Amino acid sequence: MSTLDVLLQQVVNGLALGMMYALLALGFTMVYGIIELINFAHFSVFMTGTFVGLVVLSLMGVTATSQSLTGLALVGVLIALFLVTMAVTGLLGVLIERVCLRSLRNVSGTAPMITTIGVAFILINAMLLIWGPQAQRFPQLLPNWRWALGGAEVTFKQLVLFVVGLLLMIALSHLVRRTTLGKAMRATAQDADAARMMGIDVDRVIVLTFFLGSALAGAGSLFFGLYYGFTGYYIGYTTGLRAFTSAVLGGIGSIPGAVLGGLFIGLTQSLGGQLLGVKWTDVIIFSILITVMVFRPSGLLGARTPQKT
Amino acid sequence: MNRRILVAGIVLLVVAAVFAGLPGGLTAQGKVVKIGLSLPLTGADADGADAIMKGAQMAIAEINAKGGVKGYKLEALVYDSATPAAGQYDPAQAATNYKKFIADSLVMAAVGPVMSGEGKAISPILSEADMATITPSSTNPDITNPTMQTQYRPKGKAVYFRTVTTDAYQGPNMANYLFHAQKMKTVYILDDGGAFGVGIADSFQKRAGELGVKILGRDRLDPKEADYKTILTKIKGLNPDALYYGGVMQAAAKLAPQGYEVMPRVIKAGSDGVYDLSWPKQSGKEAVEGWFCSQASPELVTSQKLEAWVTKFKKDMKRDPTNYAITSYNAVLVIADAVDRTVGANKAVTRSNLRDAIQATKLGSIQGPIAFDANGDILTRTVSIYQWREGEIKYVGVAPEK
Repeated sequence: MSTLDVLLQQVVNGLALGMMYALLALGFTMVYGIIELINFAHFSVFMTGTFVGLVVLSLMGVTATSQSLTGLALVGVLIALFLVTMAVTGLLGVLIERVCLRSLRNVSGTAPMITTIGVAFILINAMLLIWGPQAQRFPQLLPNWRWALGGAEVTFKQLVLFVVGLLLMIALSHLVRRTTLGKAMRATAQDADAARMMGIDVDRVIVLTFFLGSALAGAGSLFFGLYYGFTGYYIGYTTGLRAFTSAVLGGIGSIPGAVLGGLFIGLTQSLGGQLLGVKWTDVIIFSILITVMVFRPSGLLGARTPQKT
Repeated sequence: MNRRILVAGIVLLVVAAVFAGLPGGLTAQGKVVKIGLSLPLTGADADGADAIMKGAQMAIAEINAKGGVKGYKLEALVYDSATPAAGQYDPAQAATNYKKFIADSLVMAAVGPVMSGEGKAISPILSEADMATITPSSTNPDITNPTMQTQYRPKGKAVYFRTVTTDAYQGPNMANYLFHAQKMKTVYILDDGGAFGVGIADSFQKRAGELGVKILGRDRLDPKEADYKTILTKIKGLNPDALYYGGVMQAAAKLAPQGYEVMPRVIKAGSDGVYDLSWPKQSGKEAVEGWFCSQASPELVTSQKLEAWVTKFKKDMKRDPTNYAITSYNAVLVIADAVDRTVGANKAVTRSNLRDAIQATKLGSIQGPIAFDANGDILTRTVSIYQWREGEIKYVGVAPEK
């Protein structure tokens, strides 16, 4: 491979990685946008999603040693897998909101945020208890097809990740911009009290936001499992932290910002690893984050002035 | 009612005080020597640690079945040295465990640790207490290196003994093997950032350079990172003959499948850190196919002489043995032998006397003769090479020393 081909390959790798970060970053950003809470439990919902996926697959008779599927069987299994897993992680998000966060809604300060950290630990330890500490193999559902792209190659897995990720984001963007629910969400984000006076059921909007964000984390977790072929109770932290960084970099609260931030961090990781070495990955990512924060404290696409007082 | 509870409480306290006041020899039946076992029993390296624990437990059970050593029963005190936060061994937890051993006056010696990262943390603690540990698997040479004495054994005497050799041989001998037998001309080297991984990758790299092998690069994997495609793509672009990985299972579990996907045909080699029977289960049979690994001991598991031992281990311990289960078994025998000679010489069984006796060990064992140099390293320096074939580790041969 020539240097240019390697760089092209790293761009392809970085975009796929970035898509996964972006899906996860959307959950952070949506919840923050609505109730100004950094939801650290999101890391763990993502991690739990991979195990939900494992269970769903084994219920459909697919295990780590199964052959990869093709044709209609593959499409059917994938659709069922995504729907069920996203529904379960979405409900998990709703449960977290209902049980742990609703009663803290009007508590100022860091109590709700600390609560989400606690929830994260509960989920991590629950998975550790159920699945044990070793990495679990995730079934290799997708066939190992690859296509040449110049001197680089694109795998079917990367393509699926990218296309499905993009479709989910378009659907989300449509929901937020064009539907009544989206309007209610944006109104709640601007001013919850005023929204309530206008007859919007704020509780319902918040619950739905948690559901959507967590369902996207569930989709992200399936991409993780299918792409890397493994999962473990500890995967939420590194991936979650990068996704959180993506959300902050793009401008927390901004949906296009989260997508841009995710792709940016994905590309930084792969190109930085290529040009400098993977041991510097975190140094590079956080140096960029700090630089951006110094010059644009609200992130790349964040609102310049806070909408709330 | 309240007075009754009070009276009962006082009675209990008095009884407890009376028993606590009795010397240990009277309350316990016979005399006990406790052996501390601090092993990463959870996390990525759990399978290897489990084999090591069971090797030691089998030796203890056999010795006690024969009536113990000169009136002393052996007893294992087992602590886990892995933490959920680390997902693998944790040097800080190992240090805590060894401090607990030292606080227990019946613990006279220890078997372990499994990992060199733990070894670096606990060796100075042992030196202060003048207590010996015998490691069946940790191979980083720094810990017993006399020029690093002030760091790892400030009181001077060797306290860190090994029934395996060190990476001063394990890393270089793998380089020799890949150079001579696999015709390696260019190599890319990765480590996992742990004390063991960095050390063995350094020693491999040094020897490969001396042999005239071109080192295309060196990088470090974060064991908690999921994505190694970036670095593997970079390595593929350099088109090396071989990839060498210095490190343990947490990173290896992900390196194998992604390496298989990105560059299936490159020669891939690791160390004893990837001699782990659960690897195909963690990464997939086809992903580990062809990987070379090593042991800092002679091949024992398939040796004819050990057939009876292996059969007994499988039956008693309900799992397959590893070579390091055998070096761990022997570590207990070394301690038992030291107790035997200490009592035989009419000396008190103390940590310090046991350390002196272990230093003077000359024991014939199922792995061959065991004797230590002044730093605690075993005098036999065999390194064995293995290859993963169809989901099983196959013995290839003894690694060339030059």
